[in-house]
Amino acid sequence: MVISLSGDTRPLKIGIVCPYGWDIPGGVQVHVKELAEHFIAAGHQVSVIAPVSDESASLEPWLVSAGRPVSIPFNGSVARVLFGPIAASRVRQWIAAGEFDVLHLHEPGIPSLSLLACWSAEGPMVGTFHASTPRMRAIAAAGGLIEPMIEKLGARIAVSEMAHETMTSLYGTSAVIIPNGIDYSHYASGRTDIEQRLSSTLKIGFLGRFEEERKGLPLLLKALPAIIKRNPRVELLVAGPGDSSKISSSLDPAIGKHVKFLGRLSHQEKAEFLQSLHLYVAPNTGGESFGIIIAEAMAAGAAVIASDIPAFRALLDDGTNGLLFKNEDPASLAQAINTLAGNHEELAQLSQSGMEAALQYDWDTVASRILSVYESAMAGHGKVGIGSESASWKRGR
Amino acid sequence: MYILLIVLIVVLFAWYLSFSASRLDRLHHRVETSWEHLDALLQRRAALALEISHLCELDPATEFLLTESAYVSREDSISDRSDAERSLSESMSFLKSAAASGEVNIPFPLLEELTTLTEKITFAISIHLEAVTSVEKMRSRFIYKFFRLAGRAKLPIRYSFEEDVIK
Repeated sequence: MVISLSGDTRPLKIGIVCPYGWDIPGGVQVHVKELAEHFIAAGHQVSVIAPVSDESASLEPWLVSAGRPVSIPFNGSVARVLFGPIAASRVRQWIAAGEFDVLHLHEPGIPSLSLLACWSAEGPMVGTFHASTPRMRAIAAAGGLIEPMIEKLGARIAVSEMAHETMTSLYGTSAVIIPNGIDYSHYASGRTDIEQRLSSTLKIGFLGRFEEERKGLPLLLKALPAIIKRNPRVELLVAGPGDSSKISSSLDPAIGKHVKFLGRLSHQEKAEFLQSLHLYVAPNTGGESFGIIIAEAMAAGAAVIASDIPAFRALLDDGTNGLLFKNEDPASLAQAINTLAGNHEELAQLSQSGMEAALQYDWDTVASRILSVYESAMAGHGKVGIGSESASWKRGR
Repeated sequence: MYILLIVLIVVLFAWYLSFSASRLDRLHHRVETSWEHLDALLQRRAALALEISHLCELDPATEFLLTESAYVSREDSISDRSDAERSLSESMSFLKSAAASGEVNIPFPLLEELTTLTEKITFAISIHLEAVTSVEKMRSRFIYKFFRLAGRAKLPIRYSFEEDVIK
């Protein structure tokens, strides 16, 4: 877990801005949390600012709250973000007091805390673009306003080819591509060979906010009857936050007895869950930029079946590290699952190549790349400070 | 009333010009700093190339190519350096694959540094080129040309070796 501070890498003071509500499950939040923990373990000083709904809850010592987030619909989900004068002044205070060597802004292209920070600060700044969606027309319209602000970023990172395309089309800039990281050893340690997992029951897993249409659980449930027909002893394990009663009551009891809802899992439970599976299914219908859960499932040794949306196609290397099915087609999904369930050799082979492929997403590799980008952004600059433009705005007020 | 309106428009326009000029100034600064960073990394690579050629037993042709391009890239002006950087990129990537297949024996720390340095250079080039592109794009806009907002700053230069490493 510890990366060495070799050669030119001195301990840094790093400030990270997370735009989404800290206590709401989401990919960006997890990415920021794990990145912060990795840098701290490597000897750097990290402070993260994020919106927090419940400020009385016990928070990580390195987390600073910027206030309560508000809900806005974004990218097929409800994003909990924060802006406004109070958030702006909190983020300015945080920057002024932090004396950071580098400021890392996540999703600086959407109106949020990150954009406020970008607007206030001057100095070495790095932005990471996560989202990949063609549906950001509102933001495209505001692109002209946002462009001068994200121009201040010394370097940009896109988490995937798709995220890169999105940012190029919206803001006309390019970026370095660095994928999201996973804690490889957490998912890999203690895993058993997939052959040993093959008991009489076929275990299929799904993890995510299952109430959201685009996460694809309805599709998987539609495919289930055809899977049960071929594999009478199959179990679909659904993990993740949400209200399962509505879904389970709407299911035919003959189907429903094969489905088990596990609720929200802890970090440790998640690894054990993934390590217990034969197949991990990602039936997401779109709006995904990376698919970190797939990388984690691969690290845990589960064979992966995913919809053929661009992000997953890229992650699974066009089907080398997992099986792809036709997006939004339950028949194609059922066929893919039945194929693998009946062919243990292919199952074991996918599990093996998945484990090898997942290694490239380990935080050791990913974080040292991010550090190289920090170095580029820091070159020739002093510390991060409050910009003159926004300072004069404040004086004029 | 009209005078007030005209004054307001003039003030707003003046503010916009100064805002635009400071945007461009910031970008110019970014081109300079990103180039300096890249330059420093290239110097480190040249030093590493010399170290490898001294420490490892290479065939005479590779050794000549390596030391020759390393010396040029350490000492000459940047316009002469571009070709040297290019051949250095090529010979270094050849060395890496030769080391991977066991044809050449490079001590592990050197090989590791070569790997990280190569990655850093790739990032630095892409970050530098992004800044260069932004400056070019901005300076080609009408308002920047007409009001000469770039002042006497020179247009940033692209070197051929940059395309080579990035592809």
